[in-house]
Amino acid sequence: MNLFFFLMSILYGIVKFLHINFIPFTYQGVPVGIWIAYFIVATIEVVLVFAFAMLAVIVIIYVFRKYMADAQNRIGPNRVGPWGTLQLIADVFKLIQKQDIIPTAADRTAFLVAPYLVFTPVVLGFILIPFGSVSILNLMVVNFNYTILFLIAFMTIAPVGEIIGGLASHNKFSLYGALRSAAQDVGFEVPMLISLISVIVLAGSYNANDIVTAQRIVPFIVPEILGFIVFFLAMIGRQSIPPFDLPESGSELVSGFSTEYSGMRYGIFYMANFGFMALASFVVAVIYLGGWEGPIFPGTIWLVIKGAVFIFIFLLTWISLGRVRIDHLLNIGWKYLLPLSIINLLISAGIALYFGGVF
Amino acid sequence: MEDKIIEVNFGPQHPSTHGVLRIKVKLDGEIIVEAQPIIGYLHRNAEKLAEMGAYPKGMVYIDRLDYVAALNMELGHVLSIENLMDVQVPERALWIRILMVELNRIASHLIWLGTHGLDMGMLTPFFYCFRERERILRIFDEITGSRLLYNYFAIGGVYSDVTPKSIEMIKEWTEDFVDKLEEIQAILGKSYIYVSRTRGVGKLSPEDVLSYGVTGPMQRASGIKRDLRKDSPYLFYEKINFEIPTRTEGDVYARFLVRVEEMRQSARIVKQVLEKLPQGDFYNKKYSKPMLVRLKATGESYVPTESPKGEFGIYLIGDGSSIPYRVRIRSPSFANLSSIPTMLKGYKIADLTAAVSSADPVFGEVDR
Repeated sequence: MNLFFFLMSILYGIVKFLHINFIPFTYQGVPVGIWIAYFIVATIEVVLVFAFAMLAVIVIIYVFRKYMADAQNRIGPNRVGPWGTLQLIADVFKLIQKQDIIPTAADRTAFLVAPYLVFTPVVLGFILIPFGSVSILNLMVVNFNYTILFLIAFMTIAPVGEIIGGLASHNKFSLYGALRSAAQDVGFEVPMLISLISVIVLAGSYNANDIVTAQRIVPFIVPEILGFIVFFLAMIGRQSIPPFDLPESGSELVSGFSTEYSGMRYGIFYMANFGFMALASFVVAVIYLGGWEGPIFPGTIWLVIKGAVFIFIFLLTWISLGRVRIDHLLNIGWKYLLPLSIINLLISAGIALYFGGVF
Repeated sequence: MEDKIIEVNFGPQHPSTHGVLRIKVKLDGEIIVEAQPIIGYLHRNAEKLAEMGAYPKGMVYIDRLDYVAALNMELGHVLSIENLMDVQVPERALWIRILMVELNRIASHLIWLGTHGLDMGMLTPFFYCFRERERILRIFDEITGSRLLYNYFAIGGVYSDVTPKSIEMIKEWTEDFVDKLEEIQAILGKSYIYVSRTRGVGKLSPEDVLSYGVTGPMQRASGIKRDLRKDSPYLFYEKINFEIPTRTEGDVYARFLVRVEEMRQSARIVKQVLEKLPQGDFYNKKYSKPMLVRLKATGESYVPTESPKGEFGIYLIGDGSSIPYRVRIRSPSFANLSSIPTMLKGYKIADLTAAVSSADPVFGEVDR
């Protein structure tokens, strides 16, 4: 039972309690009241997920700024709100006020759509993360048999928006940013998917919830340490944060694919970046550290703790490492990560064959 | 895009060009086919302005040449003038000059190290470098009264004496600077990413170095051991123990190591100067400040000095009046930048920022 049916039954209970009769009209054989209830529940869930994603973004950006400032002998944001917590809100208001500049020579439609193409899949990805389990209720907005595939699909669509934005800007720096983004995506996507396949082989299911429950005894990071390394590096690469921030590469390509973007459109790229960081860390926590499985605390807290660990590692690499060069990056992707992920696939296939009952 | 080669202008407004350098780059994919530096966006007529006033009045323009190492610029100017006029300078003033110049060399190299880190995508070393530089600037503030452009070296000495408080500050600074430098060096030099990106990049052979007139740390990184502080000692450099770091690779990594080692040596020099600093006047009493503008000179003079960027000197011609007839500036960054086409050809875009920043150009000095 997932969150959707839970909310539906609450709504149904309220309706029963208030003695409201369903309107006896039907659409496609279903009473219209049910359709309305569906719509209300879906709206509530979208709002919830969006709120959660935004909350994660706000918290991560604040933590990032403070953490980075701490590492660099600075104070960080400390003016807006208590301890500078509202700095991001102030930034967003500033960005909204700014003039929305669209280059004359740009491909207008693609230029306008690109930021949303990056941002939307990131928010949608949160729908598919299993946030916990309270008795029979799965804290998961949508639950079906291929959740993890859809999750990866959402994560794979997001960089396409970067490429579109870069190509549409009609700027040579943007063009180079887009080309680098494409090269990087291809380089990291294949090893990432192969290491994901080995997780699916071990768990025996495409369902994120089943993958979590399969790790009740041993989390997958233990038998699949290679796969974890590959997947984690690929996640850093997909986010394009340092050391793999080639599409943006501030000092070489001005600002890469987002050079021509200003105002809130740039802000959306920025927030999508951190939203993706939250999503990526939750995904890694789900498929390698056993998601919400854990003693004493409720599941959601475990997931947040595990996700926070990865977020801190992401931020630490961001703060401390330089940028790799494009040929080194492709070498990492094709020469090291791909063979490692294939070895890992063979190992986990062997484990599934001989010790299949463990997981 | 029928033609595979794309022409891109890096600069003059670009985050990694250290000012207003414009590099016209022809790119085949990510590979640089041809790179051509274009300069002149910060031309301020410094030479002509210095020719329009009395000898000491030129100092304020010379200050603004290499604004991150202003005292080194002043030194070249003041030595050239004193050579032209045969001015005697008290010993204490000369020692103070060494002290200040070496401190400023460290400040300049620290800026280089920080911005070089930025160019390689590292944000953090920048702040560490500026933290250390800030302490040096506070010392300068205590001694000279300003933080960036000092106008401190006067004909016949310096404008103000080194105070006991500032000596305390310098001593405190020398105690832990080398440790801090070790820390900063480790962030870059122990990072596999940084080393793999800089080793073998932006190579200059000794022949290239000589033919382009490249001087300073870039020259020493290419295997030519030439440091004017040793080769043609001015001030009291022959009385001080220090080494000239050299490398033979001639790439960006070698320049990084040479500059970091130079900072260590400069810190060593500062320590020795503090021990040897004699008592006495800090300027020649014959040349009181109001009369400096009335000094007249005839003849020619050029004193080469070792600035943080390389050989710096000012060629002066006096025609017997109190205004110099000609002021010609030999600026090291200008010559160093001319090696960019050789350094970049065949490398990748990412190497452009590494190689250009390893030349350490400061545009006040390049365009003059």
